[in-house]
Amino acid sequence: MARGQTDYYARLGVTFATDLVTDNIVQDILTQQSPAPTLAFGVSLPIAPAYLAGLETALSTSGYHSTEAGQDTDLGTLTTGSVLLNLEGPVWHRASWRAGLGVISYLPADQTGIFLSGGTTRFLAGAGFDYRPPLMAHWDLMLSLRYDFHRFSTDELEARGFTGSQGVQRVSLSVGLARARR
Amino acid sequence: MKPGPALPILGGVLAALVGLSCADIAAPGRSDVYEWRFITSTGPGTNDTLTFHWPRSMLPLKIWTQDTLDLPAHVAHGIDVWKTAFLYREFDAILVTDSSAADVIVRADSPAKSAAMARLQLSLAPECEGGTDIVPLPGSRTIQYPVRVFLLPRFDAATPGVSECLALTATHELGHALGIFTHSAEATDLMFVDPVVSELSARDRGTIERAYHVPPNVSVPVH
Repeated sequence: MARGQTDYYARLGVTFATDLVTDNIVQDILTQQSPAPTLAFGVSLPIAPAYLAGLETALSTSGYHSTEAGQDTDLGTLTTGSVLLNLEGPVWHRASWRAGLGVISYLPADQTGIFLSGGTTRFLAGAGFDYRPPLMAHWDLMLSLRYDFHRFSTDELEARGFTGSQGVQRVSLSVGLARARR
Repeated sequence: MKPGPALPILGGVLAALVGLSCADIAAPGRSDVYEWRFITSTGPGTNDTLTFHWPRSMLPLKIWTQDTLDLPAHVAHGIDVWKTAFLYREFDAILVTDSSAADVIVRADSPAKSAAMARLQLSLAPECEGGTDIVPLPGSRTIQYPVRVFLLPRFDAATPGVSECLALTATHELGHALGIFTHSAEATDLMFVDPVVSELSARDRGTIERAYHVPPNVSVPVH
């Protein structure tokens, strides 16, 4: 990358998440967000030779459902938005790693069920790898793998007597365009 | 770019984060519930315990309400109150304009006028009365369908307290229409025989949640 060059990119992919809530009423009930189309944007600035600091935002929307005795129930639409402050460094050739801290907000379409008292915002930690082969004169192709985790709960769950929080892990795969590194 | 010294650190941090993220949220015990099932004698020393909830395939439940005494608004409020009891969309209902398509019919009438043999009747409230015909008739394994709810003021509708009583009683009777076949023994519960609270208690919520996750042995008759 040229010295002092601002890096920016946009990616489109899909995010997979583990269970949001594990409950038991007579039998086990699991609540999970379905695989979600994800749009991400990022911008980074060099802070040291070969290292960058940047901000990455991602927006995902999909349905979420509960599963009880093998039967799924649609619970509506759930949008998540995340912001991560990242540190980025080299792995090898055109591959790089990144890790960061930030927040994730859950924005349900309807205030019902576990979101009866509204959505929630949680701290988020994430990391990932990018591979950026050249595509055009000014653009690289960007292939990304992301992993993040946070602990999930809502005001409604706490009001109902749920204690602690659920560890939620998410993995996303995406492809996009990034400003060329030459 | 060349490999950076931070890569091993990144790996270690990732491994630690994965380990930290494994713990599950702890669900409440929900043990503080009251008896909602209908326990009926079937002979000397033998009982039958009947439990019912509306199947998901029938949701949203269709409720027709006579357009008088502000009953549609009271019933709509009751629907909203009961929907808040559930975390996983176990129940939903809408008001319909044609009683022939209704699963539940709410009328401004005295429950005493109907000749149903099995009624969950509320009779102690001073300003109004209510009743619900849903409990299976003797020997039957199906609810009385459509479910009929009766609400009637004891005094002129303009009398202070009557509208509040009708609202409270509508929500209480909807609880029966959802499948709570009996009354709570605690005055802090909406399903107390003579309800004085207008919102669901934790016991009301716990009870209806359990009722909707226990496999029913009473069904809706073929219609």
